[in-house]
Amino acid sequence: MKTIEVAALARVEGEGGLYIGVKDGQVVEIRLDIYEPPRFFEGFLVGRYLQEVPDITARICGICPVAYQMSSVTALEKALDVEVSPQVYALRRLMYCGEYIESHALHIYLLQAPDLLGQPSALDLAAIVPDVVKNALRMKKIGNDVLKAIGGRSVHPVNACVGGFYRWPDVAPLKALLPELEWGLEAAKETVRWSLTLPYPDLEIDYEFVAIHHPEEYGVMHGDAWSSKGSKTSVADYEMRYFEEHVQRSNALHGHTSYGGTYLVGPLARLNLNHAQLLPAAQKALKEAKLKLPLKNPYKSLIARAIELVHFYEEAIQLIKTYQLDGPSHLALKLKAGEGCGMSEAPRGLLYHRYKIDEQGMVKFAKIVPPTAQNLPRIEADLFALAPKLVKMEQDVATLTAEHLVRAYDPCISCATHFLKLKIKEVVHVKA
Amino acid sequence: MNILILGIGQSLRGDDAAGLEAVQLWQAQHPDSAAQVQVELSELPGLALLDLLEGMDAAILVDAVQSSASAGTVICLGPDELASFTPDAGSAHGWGVAETLQLGRLLVPSLANCRVTLIGIAGGQFSMGAGLSPKVRAALEKVADMVEREIQNYLK
Repeated sequence: MKTIEVAALARVEGEGGLYIGVKDGQVVEIRLDIYEPPRFFEGFLVGRYLQEVPDITARICGICPVAYQMSSVTALEKALDVEVSPQVYALRRLMYCGEYIESHALHIYLLQAPDLLGQPSALDLAAIVPDVVKNALRMKKIGNDVLKAIGGRSVHPVNACVGGFYRWPDVAPLKALLPELEWGLEAAKETVRWSLTLPYPDLEIDYEFVAIHHPEEYGVMHGDAWSSKGSKTSVADYEMRYFEEHVQRSNALHGHTSYGGTYLVGPLARLNLNHAQLLPAAQKALKEAKLKLPLKNPYKSLIARAIELVHFYEEAIQLIKTYQLDGPSHLALKLKAGEGCGMSEAPRGLLYHRYKIDEQGMVKFAKIVPPTAQNLPRIEADLFALAPKLVKMEQDVATLTAEHLVRAYDPCISCATHFLKLKIKEVVHVKA
Repeated sequence: MNILILGIGQSLRGDDAAGLEAVQLWQAQHPDSAAQVQVELSELPGLALLDLLEGMDAAILVDAVQSSASAGTVICLGPDELASFTPDAGSAHGWGVAETLQLGRLLVPSLANCRVTLIGIAGGQFSMGAGLSPKVRAALEKVADMVEREIQNYLK
């Protein structure tokens, strides 16, 4: 194998390249280059009214807008010492179910499966197994339909606000989704069975897994950040243990722990730390899969996503069946100066927000730590772990194996580009 | 007959907004025609394009295109010409019109009954926040006329 250069990674969200330098048969340099321009969201949130924040941050990502809405509203509610009603919380979970369903179905079948089945793209996959891809699109559409029923549109839904929702969604359109969700649940169980038959490359990494954990529900919005190394960090202390640093060559910050280690967020971390909280059908799917946990192969995050799909279809069905309009859809806010942080589990991993607001509710400071920024150093470390195998492979196989590893992380490069400490010289360089 | 008129483009990316603006102009000029068809505007339809086409007998997509032709040039592509496009490897956001239609042809047999036409407007610049360039803006009237002509052909 010679040096690998992938100028533009396909089937990932955003713009990035991959460079693996080889000298004398040894891998000497690995870089995941993020050249997507930074977008300065944290900068232009300053001076905005707090109710604008969920809809502005949702625009960071077209695949996980709900994650941005939920992390921001929980952070701002903390700043105002507001606690939402159980009905609001349940509807937020349902909205999140919709996002997990559309995001995971897309990633499993259209982004990662082509790699596992030796196809260059989802189009080629559709040509050989049309029914599989057709089912995948149907599974994905159900998630988008849930978002539309709650948030008015299937991408970048609106309606979520600090204190709840602007209005309760109508019951009938939600209940009308139940037959498709029931179909989706069965399709998700089949997805788990199918995921176990795929030929994953061998790679076992001793990760530090980090995910939100809650004893009574599958961790998404409530709970502490648990690490597989044993630490339990409250959201208020998140920045004491998890840091971001600027890396000269990248438009994304890189995450590391307080002692300098890398860590992994996302579906593998959630499944390994939270499998006891999966709902019964997902528990059953996990048991039948006979997996040895913790799952340590990054390529097999596809299996974790498949099991989560079962869980989120199941949870969406439960939540819709018990959904009732009860009380006001949002709280009247009493504004005051304050600071709050919030976190939630985006489909691709933990997403942390912190805001300072003044007594008029205007944002004075914003910090957003997206999952992909936290995973970037881990992806590069994985590629180093893979290097001894890569150098023995044919060039095209090595390239594909490395690219596949990056894609298996479901990186959202657009979300990750957010460094703030720009020098003028670098801005000119970025724009050039 | 179910007819979809779909304006596509990102409103903040310079000439990419041409499809949206052309459809809005046509809609304002021909409210009677607009009332007889389904009108949609979409910044980035992606795979949802297939959902929009569901149940349609004909669809007219209006979108900015990158082309060697000078800015403001208007082209009209029928179903056969659209089928000949080779798609790039898609990103999550990268399901463009050509590749989504190709996926649709593979997966949704009923789409074969929907006649898809694309009216393309060659863009000159796609910078963030730049607005339409004068040549592209000048072409909007022509595009609106073409949309109306196509619809009248169907409604005859």
